[in-house]
Amino acid sequence: MIIQQGAVTASARIGDLGTVLGVSAPGIAAQARAGQFVHVRPGTSFEPLLRRPYSFNRIRRQEGEIELIVRPLGPGGEWIASRRPGDLLDLLGPLGTAFVIHRSARNLLLVAGGTGIAPMRVLAEQEASRRNVTLLMGGRSVAYLWPSDRLPPSVEYVTTTEDGSFGIGGRVTEALPELLRWADQLCACGPWPMLAAIGRMREEAERAPAAPGRAALLEAQIAVEQHMGCAMGVCRACVVVTSQGNARVCREGPVFPLGDVAFAEGEPATVGLVS
Amino acid sequence: MPWRRPRKKVERPIEVTRSIEESLEDAAAGEEEEDSVDLAGLDDATVVEAATGEPEPERGASDLALKLRETLAREPAPARARPRATTYPESGVDLAVDAARGLRLRNPVLTASGTFGQGIEYAELIDVARLGAIVNKGTTPNMRPGNPQYRIAETPSGILNSIGLENPGAVEVARRYGVQWAALGVPVIVNVAGYSVEDYVYVVSEMAGTPGVVAYELNVSCPNVKDGMIFGSDPSLAAELTRAVKAETDLPVIVKLTPNAPDVVAVARACEEAGADGVTAINTVLGMRIDTRRRRPILGTGSGGLSGPAIRPIAVHITYQVAQAVGIPIMGAGGVTSAEDALEFLMAGASAVQVGTATFADPLVPLKVIEGLAAYVREHGLRSIREIVGTALPRMVE
Repeated sequence: MIIQQGAVTASARIGDLGTVLGVSAPGIAAQARAGQFVHVRPGTSFEPLLRRPYSFNRIRRQEGEIELIVRPLGPGGEWIASRRPGDLLDLLGPLGTAFVIHRSARNLLLVAGGTGIAPMRVLAEQEASRRNVTLLMGGRSVAYLWPSDRLPPSVEYVTTTEDGSFGIGGRVTEALPELLRWADQLCACGPWPMLAAIGRMREEAERAPAAPGRAALLEAQIAVEQHMGCAMGVCRACVVVTSQGNARVCREGPVFPLGDVAFAEGEPATVGLVS
Repeated sequence: MPWRRPRKKVERPIEVTRSIEESLEDAAAGEEEEDSVDLAGLDDATVVEAATGEPEPERGASDLALKLRETLAREPAPARARPRATTYPESGVDLAVDAARGLRLRNPVLTASGTFGQGIEYAELIDVARLGAIVNKGTTPNMRPGNPQYRIAETPSGILNSIGLENPGAVEVARRYGVQWAALGVPVIVNVAGYSVEDYVYVVSEMAGTPGVVAYELNVSCPNVKDGMIFGSDPSLAAELTRAVKAETDLPVIVKLTPNAPDVVAVARACEEAGADGVTAINTVLGMRIDTRRRRPILGTGSGGLSGPAIRPIAVHITYQVAQAVGIPIMGAGGVTSAEDALEFLMAGASAVQVGTATFADPLVPLKVIEGLAAYVREHGLRSIREIVGTALPRMVE
């Protein structure tokens, strides 16, 4: 983990998903792994104050470059998303845990929702030459899907849209059961309701007899989001409840075993009582 | 955690820092051998100057030896006693201050409670051994899981937090971090929180003898279970607490004042009379943000504590008021982001400052403040940073 001033090398708007920034940051690229994130300072002053966490969307070690998907939400996100090639970004990273792909996995299933595509794209690029990879991505409409020309050609790409504008109509959970039968390993990243839905499938699978894909579901790994402060593990703002107690998304996460994370009504479970 | 893959050792290309391995080596060596080697080559007066940052020409040799032994027992040898330290921008500048009565630090820059964990986390990124001291995360008698989400919200030039004192409890803190604190080579002030006088006394008794600990800071922003009164809101309650903790420990006891008290100055005065060795001004200011989409407060607990540059003028104002009312040292805290900000607090009467929220934005701020203060002392031809403490206060006319 280091602090590095990265120079923006490219900026591309991807539909309504966000802006993809290419950033030259060799020190960070050299250490980065899929699922980890970088904490980006939104400016040079203390307004806005907090850094913004972005999961790596691409890691190019040879070129010393990373890519991030930035949604222009709020003053901080807008500032970062509007950086042009040549501009500098203050980066802290890589931070957090990474996805671990089993050496024996032949069929890898990746599930992405919204900007949760970021680490799934890293995995797709990293694993495409080693095993069969299928990427299942869901979005509100076609404008929220990741463009297929930015994926390795050998990766199978399945999409769902809530408005039926592209691919299968509905959410990723509609397409998941069939793909799951094929999978040896499952990794997912997306909004909490999506992860909670996969969590419910997992709970059902726990009670069900052995079936193809059941093992992949039971051992699935997910990357989660939470409102974050320091990203260094000190402020304890970003905790989620897990089977081992409170876990910091910035340190013990963002990648957790699906079965360890506690959900409540499609949201992360929370400790204590709301006054 | 079983799923956590061990992190690889990495290079840290930040130029102002030494590697943590070097810091650890130095800290370990500095405890024993290096001290004696260095001391052998120096005369008494120079040694005291090196250890305390202040020439002490009048004392006799035996006094000197005694004082020296005390000083060295209290904290590891200051960075400037080591050869490598000459490369730091603050080297050779007298930045030593009394952050509290009986608490001399090598420089006036600390990290504030709750924003620096247990000190070990940021040690991966910066050289914490250069700090004046660190204040650990609020420690309670028992483990606390903390508050429901959300726990943090951004505000103009600040943040609101409602973490809920999540910590593993005093016994675990002492057991897990004591050895690591000693190795960090930086004095540790334990921030104590509780819901009864007995809670605070218990934490202090459990922390007794923990390596690296040099003082206690009392978080008095908690309600007393007995009557629901916030300890720091009521002068007599704050005094009672101070007296009880002072009776339990020989280490300096600092009270962290809450700006939410009706009369902060009266609380500070009462704490001084009860034996407090210093006060920190200030803890967070109560605040709230509403999620307009969901039509409810953003924070899980509704309200939270506001910190960051947004509260700096409040903190400077309270420092200025308290400085005119008490004789014990004050640590200024609230929105320090630069040496310039730190100077405001020092001139308002603080002897030291705590950097907090700014570290989240830029982890190098605490070190930059130290370097900036050193530059100020040099540029203005001061003998020490202590010369500027309280210089903005009204002159006493009698």
